[in-house]
Amino acid sequence: MSFLSLVVKNPFRNKTRSALAIVGIAIGIMVIVALGMVTGGLENSTQSTLKAGAAEITILQTGSNSFGSGGTLNESLVTSILSINGVKDTAGILRASNTSTTTATLNSNSSQGGFGPEGVSITGIDLNKLSLIGIDSVNGTAFSNSSTDEVIIGKTSAQSLNKTVGDTINLYGKDFKVTGTFETGNFITDAGIMMPLSTLQNLTSNKNKVSNILVKVTDNANVTTVSQSIEDAYPNQLTTTTAEATASRINQGLSFIDTASWAISLLAIFIGAVGVINTMIMSVYERTREIGVLKAVGWKDRRILGMILGESIVLTLIAFIVGTVVAVVGVELILTLSPSVGGIIKPSFAYDIFLRAFIVAFLVGVLGGLYPAYRASRLSPTEALRYE
Amino acid sequence: MNNNGNIIEINDLKKSYDNGKIKALNGMDLVVKKGEFISIMGPSGSGKSSLLNMIGALDTADEGSINVAGIDLRKTKNLSEFRSKEIGFVFQMHNLIPNLSVIENVEIPMFETKASSNEMRERALELLKSVNLEDKIDQKPTKLSGGERQRVAIARALVNHPSIILADEPTGSLDSKTGAIILNLLKDLHSKENVTLVMVTHEPYVGNMAERIVNVLDGKCQNIVSSP
Repeated sequence: MSFLSLVVKNPFRNKTRSALAIVGIAIGIMVIVALGMVTGGLENSTQSTLKAGAAEITILQTGSNSFGSGGTLNESLVTSILSINGVKDTAGILRASNTSTTTATLNSNSSQGGFGPEGVSITGIDLNKLSLIGIDSVNGTAFSNSSTDEVIIGKTSAQSLNKTVGDTINLYGKDFKVTGTFETGNFITDAGIMMPLSTLQNLTSNKNKVSNILVKVTDNANVTTVSQSIEDAYPNQLTTTTAEATASRINQGLSFIDTASWAISLLAIFIGAVGVINTMIMSVYERTREIGVLKAVGWKDRRILGMILGESIVLTLIAFIVGTVVAVVGVELILTLSPSVGGIIKPSFAYDIFLRAFIVAFLVGVLGGLYPAYRASRLSPTEALRYE
Repeated sequence: MNNNGNIIEINDLKKSYDNGKIKALNGMDLVVKKGEFISIMGPSGSGKSSLLNMIGALDTADEGSINVAGIDLRKTKNLSEFRSKEIGFVFQMHNLIPNLSVIENVEIPMFETKASSNEMRERALELLKSVNLEDKIDQKPTKLSGGERQRVAIARALVNHPSIILADEPTGSLDSKTGAIILNLLKDLHSKENVTLVMVTHEPYVGNMAERIVNVLDGKCQNIVSSP
C-alpha cells in the first residue's frame, strides 16, 4: 500500500457524506465550465462576426434600428456617398423578414425585422456587393442580379429550414430556388437568406429604397474619420456605426457576462467549499482516536496534515471531473435540442476554461482541508487515544 | 541503551494535569534492562498509563529525567521519529483502522521509514505469519474476532523492529482464554524478536507472567518484585 492509495481510499469510508461533498463542489465546477464554454463561444462568435464583415461602416437613417427591416434610405445615396473622401465602395442592402415553410404560403411582411424561430431574415443585395457583407464564396452558385426566383441561404438557415442547394423555398407566396449556400462566420448573416436587391424591393414595395448602406473604406483611411465625414455630409439624416464601435459594445456586454459568471461561480464554489470543510472536520472528529494511533506508531505531524489535506483535494478533484463532464454533456445537449441557439453559439473547448476549473477545484480542496488538517496534526496523542 | 544495559531509566519523574490539580506521576523511579519483560500494576488512577505514555513519548514530563533506548526524552524534539524507531504500542482496544485490510494495518507504521511498498508488504507478511494470520491478510478488521484483531495489533507493533513494546492492558477486552493466547504470543515474540516488553495490567495472573512486577501507587513506584 502506498501513502497515495491510502489518501485516495480514506475519503470513501463514509460514501454518502463524501458523495454529498463532491456534488456540492461539482455544481460550482459545472457552473464555471458551462459558463466558460458558452461565453467563450459567444466571444469566438463575436470575433468571427467582426472579422467576417468586409464593410467597416454601416449607414442607417438617423433614429432607426441598425437591424431594422424596410426601406428608409433613398438608394441614390449609395452612389452619392462614394464621392466622400476615404470611401472605397458602397452597397445598399434591404432587410426584410418572412416565415417560410415548404408548403404554406405566407404573405405577411414582418415589420419587426431581424429573425427568430419563426422569422427568417431576408437581405436584398447586388450580386457584386456580396463581399461587403462578408460572403466571399458560395457553395453552389450565387443568384444572378436579374433573377427573380433565386436565393442563396446561410449555413445556419439551411440547417434550421433543412434546405440545401437545389431545394425550393417559399417566400412572399413565391417559390425561390436555392442556388447556393454560404458561411461567413457572422451568426446573424449566416442565419439569413440573400436575394437580388431589386427582387426584394419589388416584393416588399420598397422600390429605390434600402435599409442600410455598407461602406468599405480605402486602405489608408481612418474609419472613424470617414464615418464622421459621412455624418457631416448628411447631418440629421444619416447615422453611422463602425465595426469597432460594435465590437466595443459587444465586448462590454461579454465582459459583464464574464464578471457575472465569475460571481455566480465563486458563490457556488464558496457554498461547496463550506461543504468540504464540514466534511473534513467531521472526518477528523470521527477519526480522532485513529489519528492518536497514527501518532503513536510514529507518524509525523506533517504526514497527518498531508493525509487530511490530500483527502480533501481528492474529493474536490473528483468533483472537478464530475462537474466538467456534466457541464460539457449538458451544454452540448441544450445546444443540440435548441437549434436556434445552437446555431449562434458554438461552445468553446479552450483549455483555459478547464484549467481554471481545475485550479479552482484544487484551491477549494486546499482551503477546505487546511484547517481540519491542521487540527488533526496538532492533536495531542494521549488525548486522541482517550477519545471515545 | 547505556553501558550498564538499561534500556529505560526514569528518575524522579513528575507529571501533573489540570494546572497541577491531578498528579499523575509524583516522583517515579524505574530502571528496566534491555530484553526484560516487566509488568506495571496498580489500582485505577495510580499512574500506570501515564508512566507508559512517558516511556512511549506520547506525553512529556514536567520534572525529572527519562532516558529510553539511550535517548533523553525531555531534550529530544523529534519524538515521533523516536516512537517510529524504538516503540511498538499494543493497546487495550486494538485500534485498527477499519477501512484498511489486515496487512495494510500492519504496514501503517512503516510509512515513516524508507521502506519500499514491496519491503513493507514482505515485512508485514512475515509478522502476520508469526501471529498465524497469513490466511486473513486481505480481510477487514470487522471480519476478525477480538483475539485476531489483537494479534494484528501485535504484528503492527513489531513491524519497525522496535526495541520496546508497550502493552496497555492488551487482554483487557478479551475473554480469559483468548487473553491467555495473546499473552503467550506476546511473551513468545518478546523472546524471538528480542524486544523489551513493558505491560500494564491490573490482573495478577497477567502480571505474574512477567519477570518483574512494578507496583505503582499515587504516581510513584511502591515496590518491584520478581515474579514467583
